[in-house]
Amino acid sequence: MSELHVEIDGRGVDVPQGWRLAWVDRLAGIARLDNGERSELVVVEGQGTAWHVNLRGRRIGVQVRTRREQLLAEAEVASRSHGGPIEVKATLPGLVVAIETEVGAEVEEGARLLTIEAMKMQNEVRAPRAGRVVELAVEAGRTVATGALLLRLE
Amino acid sequence: MRKDSGAVPFDSILVANRGEIAIRVIRACRELGIRSVAVYSDADEGAMHVELADVAERIGPRSASESYLNIGAVVEAARRSRAQAVHPGYGFLSENADFARAVIEAGLVWIGPPPATQEALGNKLAARRAVADAGVPIVPGLLVPLTDDQVPDLSAIGLPAMLKAAAGGGGRGMRRIDRAEDLPDQLQAARREAQSAFGDGTVYLERLVQPARHIEVQLLGDQHGHLATLGERDCSVQRRHQKLVEESPSPAVTPEIRAALYDSARRVAGTVDFHNAATVEFLLDTDGNHHFLEMNTRLQVEHGVTELVTGLDIVAWQIQIAAGEELPDALLEPELHGHAVEVRIYAEDPWNDFRPLAGSVTTWRPPQGPGVRMDGAVREGLQLTPEYDPLLGKLMVHAADRPAMVARLRRALDEMLIGGLQTDLGFHRWLVDQPSFASGDYHTGLIVVEWGSGPELAHDLAEMAAAAATAARASASTRPSAASATTGTATTSAWAAAARREALRR
Repeated sequence: MSELHVEIDGRGVDVPQGWRLAWVDRLAGIARLDNGERSELVVVEGQGTAWHVNLRGRRIGVQVRTRREQLLAEAEVASRSHGGPIEVKATLPGLVVAIETEVGAEVEEGARLLTIEAMKMQNEVRAPRAGRVVELAVEAGRTVATGALLLRLE
Repeated sequence: MRKDSGAVPFDSILVANRGEIAIRVIRACRELGIRSVAVYSDADEGAMHVELADVAERIGPRSASESYLNIGAVVEAARRSRAQAVHPGYGFLSENADFARAVIEAGLVWIGPPPATQEALGNKLAARRAVADAGVPIVPGLLVPLTDDQVPDLSAIGLPAMLKAAAGGGGRGMRRIDRAEDLPDQLQAARREAQSAFGDGTVYLERLVQPARHIEVQLLGDQHGHLATLGERDCSVQRRHQKLVEESPSPAVTPEIRAALYDSARRVAGTVDFHNAATVEFLLDTDGNHHFLEMNTRLQVEHGVTELVTGLDIVAWQIQIAAGEELPDALLEPELHGHAVEVRIYAEDPWNDFRPLAGSVTTWRPPQGPGVRMDGAVREGLQLTPEYDPLLGKLMVHAADRPAMVARLRRALDEMLIGGLQTDLGFHRWLVDQPSFASGDYHTGLIVVEWGSGPELAHDLAEMAAAAATAARASASTRPSAASATTGTATTSAWAAAARREALRR
């Protein structure tokens, strides 16, 4: 077990001993997880290092890495944390109903950049930090998916 | 229509909707021997409602405004398919009087309340005035629109207060006001939201009644002056002023309160020329007093719980009423049998403010067995698009009494398996174990107060997830056909080695 490093929400988790995962429907990812005392139906999805376990209605993201994969992941995090331009992405899917800034605009942290309507709500997208808008990737009237690039700040 | 119902005005219905409610109406059509016509946008070509209908007509591209909200396209589809009546479902064009008029002017039967009635009740502010005149208690507050330059007397209304859109409904254009100085900013925000959602920025202000329960009375009215009151539904479990769980009867409603609710609901319906199906919504305060909120002139999402406790088929009755049938006396105030609840399964993340999610449903195993009803529109592999409502299905259970209902709901939720995206299933599993829900003593603040941003992941659940993922990776990398894998020292070296091999290959 010491060979595998498991993380949930960025925190290391010790893998408990003695749990058995028996596939009920491998294609659908359905399995029974039990340790002789407790037993639970789960849906497991994923491959390689990235897994999701649907347990009691909660979808839990789990990273399962070998020591080598863990070292690579840590190196990547370190290289990513050096300033530079940032991308503002959609945190939910919806319709862009208003753009409240323009390319070249200097914005304060918290300034309203655009409005996305989703699920009958208008959600304001605000600047995560002060900067200059260097690219607008969407226009009003467009639908965006979660994670879609909205604009770049420098 | 039923063969014994004499002169039948139609034998073919166009269902102007999508998703689970389109399927619900199509099923009623089949049971009545009526031909059903589905409509679909380009996003829904392979959707379940298209598959289940007798005929399907394309009405436009993905965006709702060019398809399901396009009056001309829907009416044209009805003409093309030679449908004789139109059922609008809920949402989309269901409360749009222009649509109802266009349907009627095309010579088709409209399955819903008359357009003039929809219009009269669609303006919530006008409805407040009419209903107050009819002697029904309303939520204290303004009877006239709020203007930008005139400061309302907040001390008379009371704080906290609620800004609401006159043309509103469904929680849109609503803003809570806690301090007088917040009013100008919130007023602009509410106006913007109302303008964009309804094309009308008129807003008004009413007191926020809390703690309160959201209680609604289901009505059916025929074209011969009969009005049926079909019990109440308690819809107090809400997020963003939108319902998530509905039960009938309400644990807070005594026979005396029910009689008072029925009386008010009848008076509200009496302010307009009403027939077909509608729901009158009230807030019930802790003293047992009710206050009128609004009347919805359409089928509600949660109509199924009323069907379970009354034994009536509300959608079939909508169709029969539109065909001119009479409601028999025995149905006007039916006895309520047992207890029913509905939990809405939404593709949204309850641990992130119930934010809607897109993605695909890779695993969908609804529960079965005694007292369980699932109205859904999901097949494994379904790709959700941000264009439409993220409702995946409605899980309903019915049992002899409330404790049995709670136990049955817990059992059904335990059987339900979903994979591919986060849904609010985890919230519902939490809810059934809360003392407030189990006892029935809860109000509209339940989610904000008790759920908040959701419980942290418990240590034992994190460990189980870690065990499942580790074992899944091991069984994936050893033999694709492996039936099981175990965590623990005995097998560690074999599958850690396998994982290492796999990592090197990548």
